[in-house]
Amino acid sequence: MKRENALLRLSTGIAEAESETDVCSAVVAGLYDAALGYDFVAVLLVDQATGDRVLVASEGWKDAPPGLRIRPGQGLSELPLLDGRIHYTPRVTEETRYLPTRNEGSEADVPILANRELVGVLVVESNRPDAFDEDDLKILTAAANQAGIAIGRARLLRAERARADEQEALRATMADLAGRLDLGTLLKAVLERAVRLLGVSHGELAIYDAETEELEIVANHNIGRKDTTGTRMKLGEGAMGHAARTHEPLLIPDYREWSGRSAQYAAVDFHAVMVAPLLIGGHLVGAIAFMDKDPARQFGPEDLRLLNLFAPQAAIAIENARLFTAAQHQRQYFQELVDNNPVAIVTLNEHHDVVSCNPSFEKLYGYTQAEVVGRNLDDLITTEASRAEAVRYTKQALEQRPVEVISQRRHKDGTLVDVEVLGVPVIVNGKRVGLMALYHDITALLKARREAEEASRAKSQFLASVSHELRTPLNAIIGYSELLGEEVEELGVAQLGDDLGRIHASGRLLLSLINDILDLSKVEAGKMEIHCETFPLAPLVKEAAATVGPLVEKNANRLVVEGAAAAGTMHADRTKLMQMLLNLLSNACKFTRQGTITFSVSRDGADGDGRVVFRVRDTGIGMTEEQMGKLFQAFSQAEASTASRYGGTGLGLAITKRFSRLMDGDVVVESTPGTGSTFTLTLPAVVRDSAPAGALGGD
Amino acid sequence: MARILLVEDNEMNRDMLSRRLQRKGFEIEMAVDGKSGVEMGRAGKYDLILMDMSLPEIDGWEATRQLRAAAETADVPIIALTAHAMAGDREKALEAGCNDYDTKPIELDRLLGKMAALLGNEGADS
Repeated sequence: MKRENALLRLSTGIAEAESETDVCSAVVAGLYDAALGYDFVAVLLVDQATGDRVLVASEGWKDAPPGLRIRPGQGLSELPLLDGRIHYTPRVTEETRYLPTRNEGSEADVPILANRELVGVLVVESNRPDAFDEDDLKILTAAANQAGIAIGRARLLRAERARADEQEALRATMADLAGRLDLGTLLKAVLERAVRLLGVSHGELAIYDAETEELEIVANHNIGRKDTTGTRMKLGEGAMGHAARTHEPLLIPDYREWSGRSAQYAAVDFHAVMVAPLLIGGHLVGAIAFMDKDPARQFGPEDLRLLNLFAPQAAIAIENARLFTAAQHQRQYFQELVDNNPVAIVTLNEHHDVVSCNPSFEKLYGYTQAEVVGRNLDDLITTEASRAEAVRYTKQALEQRPVEVISQRRHKDGTLVDVEVLGVPVIVNGKRVGLMALYHDITALLKARREAEEASRAKSQFLASVSHELRTPLNAIIGYSELLGEEVEELGVAQLGDDLGRIHASGRLLLSLINDILDLSKVEAGKMEIHCETFPLAPLVKEAAATVGPLVEKNANRLVVEGAAAAGTMHADRTKLMQMLLNLLSNACKFTRQGTITFSVSRDGADGDGRVVFRVRDTGIGMTEEQMGKLFQAFSQAEASTASRYGGTGLGLAITKRFSRLMDGDVVVESTPGTGSTFTLTLPAVVRDSAPAGALGGD
Repeated sequence: MARILLVEDNEMNRDMLSRRLQRKGFEIEMAVDGKSGVEMGRAGKYDLILMDMSLPEIDGWEATRQLRAAAETADVPIIALTAHAMAGDREKALEAGCNDYDTKPIELDRLLGKMAALLGNEGADS
């Protein structure tokens, strides 16, 4: 009767159990009953992967190691697995297979079949030999049958649930992965799904960095105390590195004993580990690893099947997210460049409406981005005066011709801003989508330039005024010395004549110096006017030759004039041309002694746009390259000492150069030291009139 | 002996030029500004007028125009005297009605040449 009650309790317990473990515990608890009198009851289930028997539940053995494994070939409990029958051993000590736990006793080993498959063994022991009778064996067989049915049912249930979970997990994962493009979140989600799908306690996900050939752990689940995120492993290092290198999944029954473990995982004490590479068409993007804290959890074909379903999809999702993230980083990079750019940048669509602007634009024009987006740019920042021009530029830039101008635009408060504008079309995939305009604020720059120009003009103006004021007293000095020169004889003081001559000559030199300075400063102040007239060249040449006559004779030189008769007429500023020619001729006279100065004029090119070429060649002292380099600079005779030896202001050539440029011509020199120099002045036969404003007038 | 009117506001220039011309035998009278230059010119029956261009009251160009406009001085030769050889001064002076033009500082021989050309046989008696 007591036995019947015990069996009833056993059946009830088994019926209520849902999982395999619960079933095993219920069987053990039901049989380990005082009424039955057994000393040890246990259920061992077969690990399909290894064939080991794993202790799932037991009673009567205090400190029984959970998850104890018995290898094939050991123990009496293997016998039912070999032939599918119940085995009763009346005296355990007589059996060689017996793993000694007690000195004497008896043991019954009953096979557990689930769905006609041997899944485990019910082991019942007594401390007494011959303790089991027929009745006991019937009871145990019935219990094992019930357990088998319950385990079969639990397994079906689990498989059913797993399949449902798997479907749900895959569906959820894919939906999720498609929606999530943020790499960090996605990687975590992928790993969580995989961990749930496989029903494991731990997982790690790494992505592959092709540049460094390293895997980097980017997500983990439940990994001990230390966060492994950021850990990097070389290809081939550890389980992940191994799978990544071979492109094959890897199952490791006991990681602690695996020879390939990474030093970085030396402290980890997982048993079974499953690793798979994440591949897209043979191209490695990462690796995923699973572990379980339960020593009984081994990975088998079912796990691999799930992994093969999952891994390719995860790989694609990761790669998509990675590409998206890279694109986003790129975008962010350029956005940073725009946002922190000191140049005001605005982008427009094809209708000239503002699409975006940067903080510098907001600062330059006083509008916030919100105020300008969607509005016509030219309506906002142009003035009455610049609107038509701005619209034209906008159109031009949209038509793919870049615009680069200096202009004025209007700030929100109405003030004007000087800007350098660059407008360029924005072309994406060959299609014009709008334009970008850059505004460089040059208000301060222009102000500085205006001030500098103003200062330079003021300086030139000052120089001009001073020179001008100096001339009045100088005229008196020259005039009175001449007057006195005429009077000395009459006054009977002829001996003063030489001294008066010196005063007079110095006065004239000072005057020519002042006149030259005045000319130069006028050119530099932009106030030198060109007044053109049409005149025949022959008389001009004759006049110049005549004027320079006394100077020619002074150094016993000979002047040869060539080409004047055939030179025709030209249209130019005759006064300035004469001044230039006299400068060149007097120069030649000064630096030549007992030599020949050849003054020639000729025409070059067609009559309409031809040029007139004046050439002054001497057989004087000549110049070196270095001397020629600074010849046309103001106050620069080839050598400082030259001025005192040869006289002159040193300004003549500088003036000649500037005058020639004013008339769209030029003067150049060729020279050989000791042999002579040739100055060539070339001017257009018809010089354009120019009239700079505000010429200095009066005396 | 030719009668010359010298219109010049600068005292030293006036003194210097008048003395040099007197030494050459001219009879010189002087005006110190444009306004008195015009008045003296119209009243004085001169053979030639030397006209500084930069003058107080009215300038040389305006004074020349007024002299040209007046019947009694319409034909009196006028030589403009300007400071620096400014291109354009010459045309400006000729436009205003001057017969010729010379620059300061005066080169006496050059000026005398120009005066002689305008005075014809009535030149200086030297």
